[in-house]
Amino acid sequence: MVRFESVGMRYGSGPEVLRDVTFVLEAGSFTFLTGLSGAGKTTLLKLIYLAEPPSRGLITLFGRDLATARRAALPALRRRIGVVFQDFRLLDHLSAFDNVALPLRLAGKRVSDYAHDVEELLSWVGLGDRMNSVPPTLSGGEQQRVAIARAVVARPDLLIADEPTGNVDPEMGARLIRLFGELNRLGTTVLIATHDRALIETARAREMRLVDGRLVELRASNAQGMAS
Amino acid sequence: MNNASHVLPRDKGAAPLDFVIAVMAFLAALALGASLIADRAAQGWQSGLAAKMTVQILPPDSGDARAGLEAQIQAALDILNATPGVAHAALISDTDTEALVEPWIGKNNLVAEIPLPRLIDVTIVPGEQVDIAALTRKLKQAAPQALLDDHRGWIARLSALADTVRYAAYGILLLIAGATAAAVSFATRAGLSAHHEMVELLHQMGALPSFIARMVEWHYFTSALVAAVTGTLLAAVLFLGAGGLESIGVEAVPFLPPLALKWTEIPWLLAVPAATSLIAWATARISVLSVVRAIY
Repeated sequence: MVRFESVGMRYGSGPEVLRDVTFVLEAGSFTFLTGLSGAGKTTLLKLIYLAEPPSRGLITLFGRDLATARRAALPALRRRIGVVFQDFRLLDHLSAFDNVALPLRLAGKRVSDYAHDVEELLSWVGLGDRMNSVPPTLSGGEQQRVAIARAVVARPDLLIADEPTGNVDPEMGARLIRLFGELNRLGTTVLIATHDRALIETARAREMRLVDGRLVELRASNAQGMAS
Repeated sequence: MNNASHVLPRDKGAAPLDFVIAVMAFLAALALGASLIADRAAQGWQSGLAAKMTVQILPPDSGDARAGLEAQIQAALDILNATPGVAHAALISDTDTEALVEPWIGKNNLVAEIPLPRLIDVTIVPGEQVDIAALTRKLKQAAPQALLDDHRGWIARLSALADTVRYAAYGILLLIAGATAAAVSFATRAGLSAHHEMVELLHQMGALPSFIARMVEWHYFTSALVAAVTGTLLAAVLFLGAGGLESIGVEAVPFLPPLALKWTEIPWLLAVPAATSLIAWATARISVLSVVRAIY
C-alpha cells in the first residue's frame, strides 16, 4: 500500500526534516505514528498524502512509483486517500453536511445518492443536529468530527489522520478510534499520528516513532489490522 | 446542481472590477464605433470623388483669344463626351463658378475682372475606368489650356486620413483588450490567493485542475458579460443620440462625417461584450490552472 525507501525531506535549503526513512504499510494495516513535536510527523504524512514530493528516496503508493508517475495520475491517487488535517481545513462557507459531502461531489456523485450516507455518518459522530451549521459556529471538537467524517465518508483505501483526537474528550476519542477501527476492518489502511498514549494503548496496534527525523519501530505489527 | 458550483464562495468586493470592465467596454465600443465611422467616411469620400473629374480651361494670357477659349471648351467637351467610361460632361456656368469662389473672394464687380478658369464637370459611369493618360494627351492636343484633375491627390490624402483614424481605433481597441485582460487576470489571481487554502484543499482531495478552474471561470465570464453589456449599451446610446441630434440639424463638426452609427451598424458593437467576456473567461481559466499547477 505504502512503501518508503531511504526517503529524505528538506524544505528549500533548510536542514533535513526526515532522514533515510524506510518502512512499509501493508494493505489493511493499522499503524500509529508517534514522536515529539517537530520530529517530522506532519512532514511524513504530507509525503504520503501527496502534498509534497520527497527530496530524495523512493515512495511507492498503491503500487505506483511516485518518481515515475505522471502528474495527471496524481489526482486519482489523492482521491483514494482520506486525510484528517491537524488544523481540520474545513470550508467555512459550506455547512457541515456540504463539507462532509465534498469528497463525494469531487467523485461526481449526486446529492440524492449520498445524502443518506452523509446524514448517517454525521449522526454517528454526534453531529446529527448540527448538519446545517457552518464551521465557524461549531466548537473545536465538533469541527474535528466534521473533518473526520469528511475523511472517511468516501471509504478511502488509505486513511491518514494527524492528531485526530486532540480536541475531543476521552469518551469521544474512544468512539472515533472505534470508527477508524470499523473502517480498517472494512479494508482501509489506517495511519494515525498522535501524542495520545492512552489511545495507543487501547488500540494495541503497530507503532512507528520518529526521533529527530529518523524512524524507529517501537512495536511491530504482529497481525494485520487493528487488534480488537 | 453542478458539482463545481458553489464550492468557492462568491467574491465580495468584485464591484470595482465590474466597474473597470464596464468602462473598458464603453471605451472599446467608442473606439470600434469610431473605426466604423472612419471606414464609412473613407468609402464615401472615395466613391464620391472617384466618380467625378474636373477639367479646367485656363483663360489665355493674352486677351485676344476669347473665341479661341470657347473653341477649346467645345473641343474638350466633344473629346470628353466621346471618351469611353464618361457618363456626362457639362460646362459649369459663369454664375455657378462665381458662386464657387464667392466664399473666398466675395462678390463684387472686381470678380468679373478676374480671369476665372472655365470648369467642366465630368461624371464617370460607376465602376468604369477611364484611361486618364490618353485623355490628358487628347485634351492637350485639342485644347492646350485644358487641365485634367481626377482628384487622385485628394482621394489619396482623405484615404490616408481615414486609414490613420481607423488604425488608431484598432490600436486603441488592442490596448483596451490588453488592459481588460490584465485587470481580469489580476482580480482572478487576487481572488484565488484569498482562497488559496481552499484551492489547495480541493487539489489535495483529488479535484482535477479543470474542476477547480470551472468553479472560477464561469463566475468571471458572467460578471464580465453583464459589465461589458452595460458599458457597450452606454456607448450605443451615445452613438444613436448623436444620430438623433444630427437628424434635427445639429452638426457635430462641419466637413467631417457624422458622428453617428446607423441602426445596421449597431450589431457590430456586440463584438465588444462577446470579446470582453471571452477574455475574462480565458484569463480566469489560465490563471487558475497556473496557480493549481504551482502546487505539487
